Order: sequence, then structure tokens, then C-alpha cells
Amino acid sequence: MALLSKALNAIGLLLLAHAVYSAHEHSALHAGAPSTSQAPSTTAALPLDITLETLTSVFLVCAGLVLGSPALRPIQWSEWAGEVEQEEGRQRQGRGKAGMKEGEGVGNPFRMLEERPGFVDVRAKRKEFADWVREGGSR
Amino acid sequence: MAAELINPPPSVPPALALRMSQQAPRILQQSSGPSLPYLLSLLTASDAPETWIGYENLLLSCLRTGDDRSARMCLEKLTQRFGESNERVMALRGMYDEAVAEDYKALEAVFRGYEEILKQDPTNMPIRKRRVALLKAMNRPIDATTALVGLLDSSPTDAEAWAELADLYLTQNLYSQAIFSLEEVLLITPNAWNIHARMGEILYLSSLATNSNNDGNLMQGLCESMRRFCRSIELCDNYLRGYYGLKLTTSRLLSLPSKTSKPAPAATDPQFGDLAPPSLATIEKLHELATAKLAEIVRRNAAGESGWDGYEQAEVIAARELLDRDAQKVKR
Repeated sequence: MALLSKALNAIGLLLLAHAVYSAHEHSALHAGAPSTSQAPSTTAALPLDITLETLTSVFLVCAGLVLGSPALRPIQWSEWAGEVEQEEGRQRQGRGKAGMKEGEGVGNPFRMLEERPGFVDVRAKRKEFADWVREGGSR
Repeated sequence: MAAELINPPPSVPPALALRMSQQAPRILQQSSGPSLPYLLSLLTASDAPETWIGYENLLLSCLRTGDDRSARMCLEKLTQRFGESNERVMALRGMYDEAVAEDYKALEAVFRGYEEILKQDPTNMPIRKRRVALLKAMNRPIDATTALVGLLDSSPTDAEAWAELADLYLTQNLYSQAIFSLEEVLLITPNAWNIHARMGEILYLSSLATNSNNDGNLMQGLCESMRRFCRSIELCDNYLRGYYGLKLTTSRLLSLPSKTSKPAPAATDPQFGDLAPPSLATIEKLHELATAKLAEIVRRNAAGESGWDGYEQAEVIAARELLDRDAQKVKR
């Protein structure tokens, strides 16, 4: 998907640049030419192929951007909360998503109400860990 | 720095803590290169907030696993960057001192240090919190409660402190005070589904512990607990903890003998101004729902379906046991 969106974006931008250049050349050509004809507005009108090229390129870029955007996150609170809980559980079992990006996976904002990092009892945690080691460090 | 250090999962299991602290020597060595002068260093990636959060978490996991040398180095790095008088660094240093204190006397010395700091600056919140935690660790829950109430007097919107107060009261078996504190937490964070579930659990425990001979009060308490669990389920899809509590409370409510003698449910109970207990049909429906959902969670988790594999194994086993117990009762 990423490759497809990148390719679409590249082609679209290339076409867009070409269309813009063509339009510029077209107008430059007509501005420089002596106004022999009676109706300058018709000669200055953009040829159909440039218009079409512009529209196609814009469409391609749009499609590429939409395809390349990350997956949408749920907008319903309960759905989001359920996902957060699942993701946390997976992390705790040591198989969470690897390489989480910045701003992504902010985690459960209410977990800290049960963990309470400001009040953590270091000595109890140390003891718990020592017991775990003594038991053979399984699980 | 690894992702798990910057954004560690909640309630880190010992194995993961060990793995995290084992990264310490490598990380500490990596970053000991020459540093740029102040302000210029802000431009480089090595001064990103993630780096320092990583150091903090590394410090915590090193303290936990007993790697005091690496912990010391992390602390020194943080002190170098943020200065001696940074409140958060002060609290971390206090935590380090607590962890390496060898006996009660050393802990007392740390405690006196906190008092000294607070005498100079009573608004130092991290240190005030450490003081409460230390009192709790020194097995003086009543002093800890007093200190925490004082802290909340000056900062009543601190949800973390309210939650800690609820826990402190609970360890002293003061259920109604614990419930009050949790209500305060919910006033500050009304959408915290885990606090709703916690509230349901405490209400369930307290109504069983205090009203075992009074069916009316027991019913009131269980209904309240059931409502809390319902709210937690509403706020979080497929919440195993909520469904477990819902099944527990509803089956308990269904087994109450006096349920038939209840008057017709009114919108509110005139005597207490509380909500009237729900009708029997509603409770039965909720019980069915909880059973079905728990069965679904257990089944799909066992099948390892994606999106259902994030449950704690111990919790799933407990849910299965609850279902089995219920099934046996039906057979009999």
C-alpha cells in the first residue's frame, strides 16, 4: 500500500508540474505573439489537454494521499478504550507493536490512577522483584 | 532507546523490568559522549523529551532490579541536565535514597531530609507525595493518611492523590471513606473506566463485609456496585474486569432471598433519595449478558483471535472458573 501511494503521488506531482509548465509556456507564447486575430480571448484559452492533465494529476495526488494515510482510529470512546486495553495487555505480555511512533499509542490515560507513579513504594517493588528472582524467575 | 523504555506498559512484570534494566549499561555508555553547550544541545535529538523519560524509566527499573550503580548514573545524568533543585529530580533522588537505605534508621534519615526540603518549600508536590509514600512504606498508615489529607487540602484536583487516599483507606478497612475518595477521583476524571470498575469492586466488598445481616442494605450496596460495573462496560468495550464484576454482583443479587418482597420499583427511593433497585427482570437480563460476554471473551481469547489476545492470562482463567462454577450450580 505504501509503495502504491508513493508511486501515485510521484506520478501525480510529475503530471501536475508538467501541466503547470505547459500552461505557463502556452500563455507566454500567446502574450508574446502579435495580436493579429480579432478575438484575443479565444486564442488565449487553455487547450483541452492541459486542463485534462491538471485534473488527472490532482486526482492522482489525492488518491495517493488517501491511500498512504495511516489507519483511522476509533472515534467512539468505548471502542477506543477497548483497543487501548487490548494493546496494553499485549505489551505486558511482551508482544506489543514494535517501533511505536511518536504520538501514537499514548496508552491508557487513566492507568496512572491505579499505578500512581508519584507514590510508588520502591522498597516493596524491590522486595517483590527479589522474591521473583528467588522463585526461579519464571513467568 | 527502546520503545518499551519510553512508553512502558502498565504494571511492568518482573521479566520485562529485568530486560529493561539490562539495557542500562549499553544506554549509559552510548550517551556519555561529549555534549554540546547549553541551548545548542536543544537542537539535537539527544535532548528530546523521550530521552529523559527514558532515563527516568530506566532509573525506576534499575532500582527495582537492584542495579544501584546504573540507577546512580541515571540519576546523575538527570541531575546534570535539570539541576539539583528540580522538583522531579529531587523526588527521584529521594526514591533512590529510599531504595538503597539499609535499615529503619536510614529510612528515618531520608524522612527527615524530606521534612527539611518541605520546610524550605512547602509547595514541592513531588516531595510531598514521596513523604506520604515513605510513611506508608514505614508502616505508619495513619500518619500517611493525615499527610495525604493535608496535601489534598492544598491541591484538591489531584486525581492521583485522591486515588492513593482511597487505597490507603482501603488498607485500613475504612470502606465508606475509600468510596468517598474514589467519588472525588470520578469527579475529576468522569470517564475513567478502570476507576468505575474499582469503585464497583470496593462497593461489592464493603456491602458484603458490613451488611451481611441486613438484606436491604446489602441489596442497596450490590445494586450500586452493579451500576458502577455497568458504567465501566459502557465506557470500555469488551472490558473483562467490568463483565466479571457484573456477573458477580448480579448472581449475588439474584440469590438474595428478599427480592420478592420488594415493593414495586419507583424512580427514586424516597427514604434515601437514591435510585431504587432495578427490577428482577433487568438483573436477570444483565446476568445473562455478562455470562454470554464472558464466555465469548474466554472462547475467543483461547482461539487467539486478533483483537482478543490482549487479556491478562490470570484474568481469563478467573473468568473461566467463574463460568464453570455457575455451570455446576445449574447442573445441580
